[in-house]
Amino acid sequence: MYDLNLTAEQLEFRETVRDFVKREIKPITLHPDRLQPFEKPLLLDILDKASRMGLRTLALSQELGGAGADNLTSCIVMEELAAGDVDIATTLAQTSTLAQFLFDQAMTPEQRARFLPQFLADDRYHLAFAAHEPDPDLGWKYHRPVAGEADCRTTAVRQGNGDWVVNGVKAFIANAPIAKLIAVQVRIDPKTSGTGGVSTLLVPRDTPGLSVRDHHDIARQAGPDGRPSLLWYHGTRGEVVFKDCRVPADHVLGKEGENRLTGAAQSVRRGIPQLAAIDLGIGRAAYEAAVDYAKLRVQGGRHIIEHQAIGTILAGIVIKLEVAHNMVWKAAWALDHPDAVAKRSLSDLPLQTIASVFTFEVVHEITLDAAECFGAMGVMRDMPLQKYVHDSRIFLHSGDSNSVAKFRIAEAVAGFR
Amino acid sequence: MDVSLTDEQRAWQLKARKFAQEELRPISLQRDQVVDSRETFDWEIIKKGSKLGFRTAVVPKEWGGHGIDLVTQALVMTELAKGDSAMAKTFSQCWKWSHLIEARCTPDQKERFVKPFVADDTYLLGYAGTEPSAGSDHRLPPKDDLKAGWKLKAERKGDEWILNGEKCFIANASVAKLFFVGTRTNSNASQREGTTVFLVPIDTPGLRVGRVSNKSGWRFYQNGELIFENARVPHANLVGEVNRGTYLRGTSHPFGDFELGANALGICDAAVEMAMQHVQTRWQDAKYFIDNQTIQLKLSEMRMLTEALRSFVMRVAAEGFVMRDAAEGDAKTGHYASFLQNFGADVVQRVTVLNLDIHGGAGVMTIDAGAEKLVRDAVIWTHNVGDSVQRMRAIRQNIGF
Repeated sequence: MYDLNLTAEQLEFRETVRDFVKREIKPITLHPDRLQPFEKPLLLDILDKASRMGLRTLALSQELGGAGADNLTSCIVMEELAAGDVDIATTLAQTSTLAQFLFDQAMTPEQRARFLPQFLADDRYHLAFAAHEPDPDLGWKYHRPVAGEADCRTTAVRQGNGDWVVNGVKAFIANAPIAKLIAVQVRIDPKTSGTGGVSTLLVPRDTPGLSVRDHHDIARQAGPDGRPSLLWYHGTRGEVVFKDCRVPADHVLGKEGENRLTGAAQSVRRGIPQLAAIDLGIGRAAYEAAVDYAKLRVQGGRHIIEHQAIGTILAGIVIKLEVAHNMVWKAAWALDHPDAVAKRSLSDLPLQTIASVFTFEVVHEITLDAAECFGAMGVMRDMPLQKYVHDSRIFLHSGDSNSVAKFRIAEAVAGFR
Repeated sequence: MDVSLTDEQRAWQLKARKFAQEELRPISLQRDQVVDSRETFDWEIIKKGSKLGFRTAVVPKEWGGHGIDLVTQALVMTELAKGDSAMAKTFSQCWKWSHLIEARCTPDQKERFVKPFVADDTYLLGYAGTEPSAGSDHRLPPKDDLKAGWKLKAERKGDEWILNGEKCFIANASVAKLFFVGTRTNSNASQREGTTVFLVPIDTPGLRVGRVSNKSGWRFYQNGELIFENARVPHANLVGEVNRGTYLRGTSHPFGDFELGANALGICDAAVEMAMQHVQTRWQDAKYFIDNQTIQLKLSEMRMLTEALRSFVMRVAAEGFVMRDAAEGDAKTGHYASFLQNFGADVVQRVTVLNLDIHGGAGVMTIDAGAEKLVRDAVIWTHNVGDSVQRMRAIRQNIGF
């Protein structure tokens, strides 16, 4: 049964993280000195502290040394973190989700024995999954196969002793600038196309021939029209270059030639409700700021919360927030209970995508409405409101933008996929 | 309703279009991306625009200006805003207060202030209304609270008035040479009955500029604080009558609303142009973006809203602020410019977000910087005059309270 009573453990997680955000994150991230500049470098010290609280290894199973958080618990934690800083939340969500996929599902016992102890021991050990290549975006495909991973041009050539030599470039890889282990998709059989002949190799960051550049440090390239473009993502992303990079034979993830794409796709799907939960965190931070201000600010002879115009805006915000919350939790719970779909308790539509599209749309509206309650203060860069607006807008148009995500939902409705 | 343009109107439109394309657009993003909000401004562009007549466009010809009519003002503002909304606003802010000088100032004041304004390419105008505790209270003064509204105090001392207090978010604060300043002259009366407006040059002893607001959009446009510490203003600079300050702006208020409608239209034109260009040159998956139904529908909505806004702007421009209501047999029914402003606020937000959306796609990790700037500029519309306050003002005026 779909049950909204959180466990004692989930409630404790939420309280602990909320307290951490209030004491450690917000005083730094909402300080005018950090809000005003355009660039906001990743807060590594906060990431360290979060790691010591177990948030880097949140979804990793307890047997392997993690907290064993399921999808719903991960969503609860990420929402709280994002209310303090979206980049911190995005970075931790990526490492935590990949840790569960790589260590719990994909690695051989030998690989786990090699990488897990380092991962557990080092608070700055983050993970990345390098699939995306530096081509322009994938366009607006509908009812046709998405090229995506099929376009894998990074190659791995088998050497006499069984090692692999990797050459190629991956772009905009989440967490790459701070990752100490990168799982990279490579083509091992140049004669095949599509997803056949593609494997995933585990490449430690210090492997000779591997270099990573933060996209913030790369001269801003022009967009597809040759016009100036802005980086448009949360967290940190980097370009990963392999130049005659030698990787030991036994670093293949899963059976050679049998790409763990299905597993990777699953891990991406696990990530979707967490991204929506992160966006919810932004919406909630904006909402709470607006309520606090509306109780404080006096205009028209009374606190502005007592004016119908402001009250109605706040009501609209909280309606959207509650409905989105419901859908995100339901999508996360569905991942935790695959039987619920199998037994037809839940629809087999892509609930995770549905939840994220709805959340991204309403949280953008929520942040704009919350900012409006602040009058002119709502557009000032030394106040948090425009950061919330900006952060929520990135969700609408980056990665799989809402417009394209709707295609994916429509394809599911049509039975195309 | 005839919207065909005269040769003179057309000439102004083309002159503004050329200036916007050749001078404003090339520096628009560059000025926007300057981090320090005091450094986003560029005097060279103001001087160039001033020499072409944009700064003094609405000053009557007999005073050395160009005396362009409302239709021409709408055309010029839209064209300039298409190049850069914030730069266009810097010029039209001068028009707003030129209207007030024309309507309310004495011949002596016009002599003292209009002449130097016309002669100096760097002479900009401003109006200091908003205060930290008077935002919507200044736009929509409550009837039941005498304390609400301006606190900046003006006290008469012989031939001078002594001003003490603070204004914030004041347009052109750090660049203008002359401000209309709203003051409280009777603390026992409401904002409506106890306030007075003065003309205050920036070099007035006791007046200084405080912080310049660091806004997310309209970054070129300088909003800032003005601090008055025993600032001494001659009695000769009193505008209108003592304690009748809020009645002054009857003529200028509709202009501000009209101006924002026309400026929003310029942003929409820029967004539509950007989107049209993108979808017809971008080739993906064996077809142009425009060949996608979803793109066609988004573009269609952008154009529909933009053309509706253009019709509204041009109707207000053609008929003036007191409009004729066709449904009521041509009876005059008060001004609609406030509704235009609000409609513009809705349209500009929707159109710029659609443009950003069209520039997105699958797996996108960068976004067109120009499309993103337009969205930030558009957000200003729900903050600069207070969105719901403005909507309530519109309907209250319409009903006649």
